[in-house]
Amino acid sequence: MISSELAFYAPATLAEALEQLAAAEYGATILAGGMSLVPTMNLGLARPETVISLNRIDELAYIEEDADTIRIGAMTRHRDLIGHPIVQAHCPSVAAAASVIGDVQIRNRGTIGGSVAHADPAGDYLPVLAAAGATAVVRSATSERRIGAREFVVDIMRTALEPGELLTELELPKLPADGGSAFVRLARVEGAFAIVNAAAVTSGGSATIAVGGATASPAVAEVAGDASLEEAGDAVYEATEDAFGDLSGSAEYRREMARVYARRALAEARDAAANGGGAQ
Amino acid sequence: MKLPISIAINGQTRSLEIDTRLTLVALVREELGLTGTHVGCTTGNCGACTVLLDGDTVKSCCVLAADVDGQEITTIEAFSTGASTLHPIQQAFADNQGLQCGFCTPGMVLSTHYLLGQNPSPTEADIRHGISGNLCRCTGYQMIVDSVLDAAQRARESAPSASGAAE
Ligand SMILES: Cc1cc2nc3c(=O)[nH]c(=O)nc-3n(C[C@H](O)[C@H](O)[C@H](O)COP(=O)(O)OP(=O)(O)OC[C@H]3O[C@@H](n4cnc5c(N)ncnc54)[C@H](O)[C@@H]3O)c2cc1C
Ligand code: FES
Ligand code: FES
Repeated sequence: MISSELAFYAPATLAEALEQLAAAEYGATILAGGMSLVPTMNLGLARPETVISLNRIDELAYIEEDADTIRIGAMTRHRDLIGHPIVQAHCPSVAAAASVIGDVQIRNRGTIGGSVAHADPAGDYLPVLAAAGATAVVRSATSERRIGAREFVVDIMRTALEPGELLTELELPKLPADGGSAFVRLARVEGAFAIVNAAAVTSGGSATIAVGGATASPAVAEVAGDASLEEAGDAVYEATEDAFGDLSGSAEYRREMARVYARRALAEARDAAANGGGAQ
Repeated sequence: MKLPISIAINGQTRSLEIDTRLTLVALVREELGLTGTHVGCTTGNCGACTVLLDGDTVKSCCVLAADVDGQEITTIEAFSTGASTLHPIQQAFADNQGLQCGFCTPGMVLSTHYLLGQNPSPTEADIRHGISGNLCRCTGYQMIVDSVLDAAQRARESAPSASGAAE
């Protein structure tokens, strides 16, 4: 059993959650799907005294579109993003990332907001959001802020969230009609975290590639629309100078794989654009 | 902190006062005495603790019991009451030697049930994808895949056909 005493709240509205978060004297820990938080509590690595669960807040689980953007509520579960018509039509890489996270049970419970807030360097949404130029919407009891996805993760498992703030929404620009996107990843076996993962978006005269897993937050490179795959791979390689190594690969191995997967992502995004939309 | 919750466990409504530190698997095993659900890791990796939460498979070691107030939980105990009343999925596992020590089996049966609900005619690849959240240390998986294929066939044969003519 989890060892420290636990005050547990499960508010039904966002307003209540924000009030409870503001009122928690020593801070409170937010619980979304629990797929990352509860294991660390079971291991005694996280010992929250107060937990505020977002699982009753239906208003945080949605996928909506405006003219130029799609908006995803923080409590949208991984499995609800897979094959969703709005996501599939306008940001298919989000669905591609959701579909390879962990396994069936993890996808049934884990959320996009929890995954982004957890900020694991190998998290599968992070390169997709960075490449797309997404925005994180963050709220406290008294304020609302918008933070670019590339600024949201500040270090390994550290975000720009301040005490009292919640991530409530992710907003992504729709792929333009002539654009394409792709998401690819390298992992040891199905269900394992990625060693590197890469997302690419092409639009008009340029392409953006973001690679996760090698550095604390995704390494981003922008190249001209007609750049060769080699140039794109090299640009990402340069951007991963701060790569780290661990048991699944040395820093240099990750940089080389970042180069390879950047090329693959860009090639697939171009194919998708040529086939009239972001097939992946 | 103690918290009153009310759940439907295998079709029975129960009101309980629980410690907020309990995970769902601890609630099921220690408070409700349903020890068919196993615990292998408590870190979301092995799937031995798989249960249905409102009909969807989850790893119950990663869910807080306090968080399931008002929800429906289904465990392996809902599938049969003993060796003579095995559920067709369990019978398929028994007939195909889809288990050795049996530690992973409750989770495998729940994942199989969920998979077949989504996809009554899975291919071998669909099955491997569908049970990738359940680890087995004994069988090497092939016999489990065979069991799931057999379970799917049994379910299709016993389901009424589209024309409504079959048994
Ligand atoms: C076996 C296993 C395999 C996995 N494989 C992958 C994988 O391949 N790829 C991948 O990307 N992920 C993987 N994951 C992680 C998974 O995606 C989790 O769902 C995710 O990291 C956390 O989401 P959650 O909703 O469960 O959040 P929780 O675990 O509830 O929360 C995670 C953290 O974020 C904070 N938090 C949650 N929501 C908010 C919010 N709205 N605002 C502010 N803070 C918040 C919490 O306080 C906590 O610190 C895996 C997990 C497991 C257990
Ligand atoms: S005990 Fe829950 S996944 Fe292993
Ligand atoms: S039968 Fe022993 S772990 Fe699967």
